[in-house]
Amino acid sequence: MIALEDRTVDASSLATELERLGGRLMMLFATASADGGRELCALVRAHDAVISLRARLRGDAYPAVTRFVPAAHWFEREIHDLHGITPQGHPRLEPLVTHAPDEGDVKLFGEEDVGPTHRGAERLAGPGVFVIPYGPVRSGVFESAQFLVQTGGEDVAYCAQRLFFKRRGAERRICEVPLELAVLVAERVSGTSSIAHALAFSHAVESLANTEVPPRAQAIRRILAELERLYNHLEATVRECEDASLSVAQAQFAALKERLHRLAGAVAGNRYLRGTVVPGGTRVDLDQRAVDLIAATMSEWEREWRRVLALLLRTDSFLDRLVSTGPLSEEDARDFACVGPVARASGIDLDTRRDLPYDGYPAFDVAHHADGDAMARMEVRFQEVESSLELIRDAMGSLASGATHSEIGRLVHGAALGAAESPRGETLYWLEPDGDSGLRFCKLRAGSFVNFGIFNRVFDSQVLTDFSFIEHSLGLSPAGCDA
Amino acid sequence: MIRWFLRGVTRPRVTTCYPREPEPPPVGFRARASLPSEAVIDEAARRVAAICLPGALSVEPDGALALDEKRCIGCGLCAHALTMDAGYELARLGSSPVSLSPSFRRSLHIRHVDTGSDGAVEQEIAALLNPYYDMQRLGLFFTASPRHADILLVTGPVTAPMEEPLRRAYEAMPEPRVVVAAGTDACSGSIWTEPEVLGGVDRVLHVDVYIPGDPPTPIALLHGLLLASGRAGEASMPVKKSAA
Repeated sequence: MIALEDRTVDASSLATELERLGGRLMMLFATASADGGRELCALVRAHDAVISLRARLRGDAYPAVTRFVPAAHWFEREIHDLHGITPQGHPRLEPLVTHAPDEGDVKLFGEEDVGPTHRGAERLAGPGVFVIPYGPVRSGVFESAQFLVQTGGEDVAYCAQRLFFKRRGAERRICEVPLELAVLVAERVSGTSSIAHALAFSHAVESLANTEVPPRAQAIRRILAELERLYNHLEATVRECEDASLSVAQAQFAALKERLHRLAGAVAGNRYLRGTVVPGGTRVDLDQRAVDLIAATMSEWEREWRRVLALLLRTDSFLDRLVSTGPLSEEDARDFACVGPVARASGIDLDTRRDLPYDGYPAFDVAHHADGDAMARMEVRFQEVESSLELIRDAMGSLASGATHSEIGRLVHGAALGAAESPRGETLYWLEPDGDSGLRFCKLRAGSFVNFGIFNRVFDSQVLTDFSFIEHSLGLSPAGCDA
Repeated sequence: MIRWFLRGVTRPRVTTCYPREPEPPPVGFRARASLPSEAVIDEAARRVAAICLPGALSVEPDGALALDEKRCIGCGLCAHALTMDAGYELARLGSSPVSLSPSFRRSLHIRHVDTGSDGAVEQEIAALLNPYYDMQRLGLFFTASPRHADILLVTGPVTAPMEEPLRRAYEAMPEPRVVVAAGTDACSGSIWTEPEVLGGVDRVLHVDVYIPGDPPTPIALLHGLLLASGRAGEASMPVKKSAA
């Protein structure tokens, strides 16, 4: 349960108040206030607490937060798109989540004006400079997203990202469907991090209803969540090997990934672990057969993983492509409130499992790296594979006998925040109940939403052929970002 | 590089022999619900239909429970009243499917388009190239250009911004062209509704093969692609041996 420190300000001073608070902006959204009006709500991680800053709106406009807090840039555009509220002075107030009907009207520039301390990308002009609109249908099996790459032929002058082709209205659906079915929507927001989304949603519902999760269910949740982290980190590794044209490495890591999915299918009935986590506990129980299968599979898996990884880290043609590629400075990562392996690889010490503890996670070493390049992001993932293996072993040892589910009673609180660390970073669900058994409002934020915001900032002195290395080292999920 | 070479040639073969030999799913796998032999009717039918989020279960006018396989996400919430199938071969032909002439059948090129999936089905499609499934042994290949493609493999319910790109990818393909909807969301729209989502792929294009699944497993995808090429049920077809 996440304790929130409530504060109220006027919308006209929200920007200055957020700047004064410092810390990391987790979410910013518009919601209904208690008296039927509208208010903005900012969630900030500062001074070891989560501060919920509510700002009453008078009228349809307020001074933009983005001028002082760059991390607010996409949140404010979203608020403008969805609620018609204008953040005055926002550097780029064009549609973000709702696509303008005129596809041709896409501005390449503007994002670089965000933030007071950032120099913009070099504006290139002249003969021979052109823009490659890459996507939304891209070459290969990829999710839909568009990248506008400005180049003179080889060097990338600027790269702008366009997302939200896949917006399915998950927040609306979560409120529409009966509360006991809403977790099925949450686990389909980003299908490769079903567990993290189901966990974050369930944590919020459990907070609303003051429900304690039984210890056995907590241990099962940890096992499933770490299994999910493993196959997502493997996916990033497979993609990087493919980009480096290392066919054998690609096949070896893909085979390791496949084994994890087969294990998931055998113990949870679904290769992406869906239908397992529900508010109040879990729907699956791990019997002795499942426990033995996990133990046997993981010990062999671990041996194979170490062997193949050792080979990869001695392969110059792999290292050459990743070292110093796609650098993200610590300053940018902090200003834009990045999360997950992307933030940890740029020297930012954060991990939801440790910072907002849930489901009985024991102490573990949070991965970190200071280089901020593609290699650092992969090394953070390699470190996390090790800690995930250790956490699975620990959870298997602490599978206490007992129930796997507690009933969710009446929803007694006015609002709650649920969080979980997905393989891509902090996943958040903010829920406000309608009566004592339904939901009135849901705001979700996947790690990919914030991490996609810096996509245009990692192409300094990069060349076109680095594109896929950079994209896959960030390891983002358009489905999670678009929701 | 020599180390990678040695690593590659010293691993045992793991590739499935599917479709020559069946590939059994694990015990307890939740592929989709199936109606029990005894009809579920009236009150019991209404109760179980009420907890089906994608609306795969409905009550007929005569009071009997009906199942729309294209909508089932295999969540298992109805498992107390119904049985869960563990089967992999779930693909079905649409109405009047395009049939490819035999000359196409041994070398089919697939163009994938994502129209709003959850991202897992793309990984299952990519898994077709891993050593366990090795799709190329069956003469199936991915192509970057719709100009080279025989099959359009569509994932995800169709979101409003993706309708036009989907049409354009289809129109860029030469005839004959087969449309395959992969995943429950592509087959029917699944749990998603208007206005953000238009519904299944068949709201926009004529669909020849439906592969339900949430997400569809690699074997389910292989089965659907073989069905699309008119080769499903070729249990005795020659399969090249390949090393892992």
